[in-house]
Amino acid sequence: MSSSKASPSPSEVRRLLASRKIEHVVVLGANGTMGYGSAALFTQAVPKVTFLARTKAKAEEGLAAAIKQVRSPTVATHSAVGDYENDLEAAVEQADLVFEALTEDFAIKKQMFDRVEKARRDDAIVGTVTSGLSINELADGRSDSFRRHFLGLHFFNPPNVIVGTELIAGRDTDPELVDFVEAFARVRLGREMVRTADTPAFAGNRVGFKVLNEAAQLAETLGPALVDRIIGPYTGRALTPLATIDLVGWDIHRAIVDNVFEKTKDEAHATLRLPDSMATLMDRGVLGDKTGGGFFKRDGKKRLVLDIGSGDYRPLEEVLLPDMSYVDAIADLYAQGRYEEGMQAFLAAEGDEAALARKVVAGYVSYAFHRVGEVAEDIGAIDRIMGMGFNWAPPSVLVDVMGPKAAVSMIGEAGLPVPDALASAAKSGEPKRFFQHPHINIGRFFVAG
Amino acid sequence: MAANSEVYVLGGYQTDFGRNWTKENKHFSALMRESVLGALERCEIAPEEVESAHVGNFAAELYCMQGHLGAFFTEAHPAFSGLPTGRHEAACASGSIALLAASAEIEAGRYDLQAVVGIEQMKTVSASEGGAYLGTAAWYAEEADGIEFPFPKLFGRLGDEYDRRYGLKDEHLAEISKINYANAKLNPNAQTRTWYMNKEHALCRTEDNPAVGGRIRIADCSQVTDGAVCVFLASRSYAERYARGMGRKLEDIPRIKGWGHNTARLRFADKVAESRDAEYVLPHVRSTITSAMKRAGIENVGGIDGIETHDCFTTSEYMAIDHFGITAPGESWKAVEEGWLEIDGKHPINPSGGLIGAGHPVGATGTRQLLDAFLQVTGQAGDYQVEGAKNFQTLNIGGSGTTSVSFVVGV
Repeated sequence: MSSSKASPSPSEVRRLLASRKIEHVVVLGANGTMGYGSAALFTQAVPKVTFLARTKAKAEEGLAAAIKQVRSPTVATHSAVGDYENDLEAAVEQADLVFEALTEDFAIKKQMFDRVEKARRDDAIVGTVTSGLSINELADGRSDSFRRHFLGLHFFNPPNVIVGTELIAGRDTDPELVDFVEAFARVRLGREMVRTADTPAFAGNRVGFKVLNEAAQLAETLGPALVDRIIGPYTGRALTPLATIDLVGWDIHRAIVDNVFEKTKDEAHATLRLPDSMATLMDRGVLGDKTGGGFFKRDGKKRLVLDIGSGDYRPLEEVLLPDMSYVDAIADLYAQGRYEEGMQAFLAAEGDEAALARKVVAGYVSYAFHRVGEVAEDIGAIDRIMGMGFNWAPPSVLVDVMGPKAAVSMIGEAGLPVPDALASAAKSGEPKRFFQHPHINIGRFFVAG
Repeated sequence: MAANSEVYVLGGYQTDFGRNWTKENKHFSALMRESVLGALERCEIAPEEVESAHVGNFAAELYCMQGHLGAFFTEAHPAFSGLPTGRHEAACASGSIALLAASAEIEAGRYDLQAVVGIEQMKTVSASEGGAYLGTAAWYAEEADGIEFPFPKLFGRLGDEYDRRYGLKDEHLAEISKINYANAKLNPNAQTRTWYMNKEHALCRTEDNPAVGGRIRIADCSQVTDGAVCVFLASRSYAERYARGMGRKLEDIPRIKGWGHNTARLRFADKVAESRDAEYVLPHVRSTITSAMKRAGIENVGGIDGIETHDCFTTSEYMAIDHFGITAPGESWKAVEEGWLEIDGKHPINPSGGLIGAGHPVGATGTRQLLDAFLQVTGQAGDYQVEGAKNFQTLNIGGSGTTSVSFVVGV
């Protein structure tokens, strides 16, 4: 993992930006969601972007989708299209950056990199938008020049809206190049850059899908309606967890949690096991919003909710939920910007639902702090990707707003391991702020929903 | 003319203008609270120190069904209960009028530490409804009633007046738009920092960039948004204590070195009729700018290291260029073509992104400009820092060039 540094001075940033030219970007897999979204982003900052896909028609579809996504016909004036068979070598030879956004399949990517490696200039950067494959494994066995210029640049979907971006250096990536890409993506592409280690699912998806999957597990017994009410916006997120899984797609969810479950063994391993009910329903074609429904579905103006046992749907309004008036009381406090008081009300709320909500939040905070040193060098990196990639209250923000003492007892009550950093902050009793990003308004994470 | 003012700027806090507080289900009291508590923390000022507060806001009665905004300051912290507060309104110049009132009270010796909050929550209503509310900044019955989006049309007419007197090309307006959007990408609090924009887009004539008022297209407009900015102004004696407490020298604390303030007739037609034979299209705006410089002891724009101006539309920035004296009257295009307006140019304008790039929560804009000027002259503007800036000037305009306020902030 690259060492994290204090953010470079404006003059250092200028020096870095002047150290290389990015005038031509070639996007591979430009018809996919991440492909055209990233390509559109590059056209803002780079004179020429080439959209490549299996066929020229598919590349043109990607260009049309990019234009639609950012609502500017000027994307086309910076862009060219082509297919792999006829245009790949000629385009890659001229590229300053080759950006790979193919399907998440190791063999397919490897095959493509064979061709890129032969065609690329020695100084061309090769980036991959992979969210699950290992950067080091993808670079394995390639030339020195390729390995020095290869890195992961993980945009979140849709990249024109979500700015959080993970930057993953391989073990042989040139550190100066990593600094350059970070400055370029931050200043020219408007990204919130977060350096992470080359660990399964990197930082954001590792922490985020742990929480999402835990919600999916709880839904097996409690039902989706109650789970999304319990882990609702008042716990520090704009979109509720099961609605998020529906939006992301159950297949993507499964790919991420299966990968993490298989390749890691941490203190919260069990929460990363895909619920059997999801696997069963996926066999029957349920993949979330893209198949017309997941945990939730729309029927005209009506919102329906899944009965996990039967696979049937019924109107959300017919589901009887327990009294959770504490949620409204918290929302009223958030609406006036009284976030500390809202959090105190959350910690003090009585009943099984509030206790369960605290357990999930405690699990999130505990899991994130325990990943420091593994997925990222400091909690700040995990905070920024959770805040600007997932739009969730970063773990440190929750700790700051409730206070380290209260955070420690919440984690203890949930029967989860207390991170050392929190234990010592609670013990010292001195005021300490964990969240150190002056330009991110923490209030935005406390949605009064 | 009053002597050099002894009003110090201690700093402040801006909310992220990209946020939509209605989507967060928040009342504007949350906006007030975040900006005030943020400013206290950023400036390391204890709430008990604040002696008085002024709130600048245009139209909370319309957007939020709420008046009596000065009183809402006391909701931000229990220590504020009982403080003298008030609210000031002058359309898009409301924030600056609040600053003028606060600084006048400091100069009069009434208070040593004042909070000034500029605030507006606008995403509560649809674009067309909000457009009609903004029309109340003009002479509503005469210029706005029954007209969709009256303000783009009024500032389109400003462009037409330039065109008639001196000639005006759309590509120069597009370049102004492009620079503001590009600068906004460097500003972590700018509304449009992630938006897709370039000069070709600003010039494009498709449904992605529709005309909204004569020559004014969407890319020429600042956008409505929600935002609040709180700044602290202090007397010399407070600033001395503050500097000592912070381990800094008094000379390093910026001052409001000069101010200008004029109000022209409300109707746009009356303004241009008055200036028919004058060099400047909006002579009262010119007078606001030059009187601020004069009070600051600065001879001309050569003594100003950067400007935060009121680009509610590209035409208003085009107007500001010659009115600041960067070019001769009618020759603003020269500064555009020469690249003088860019952050590293000879006369940087709106390094923050201005209203077009940073966003225009109406009542907050004047205080946002002053805070940006403060950040620039103290070297704290981050990626949009104008290197070595010592003196920055603001220009905040209410209505169609009606109320103008300008400050020179410097160390």
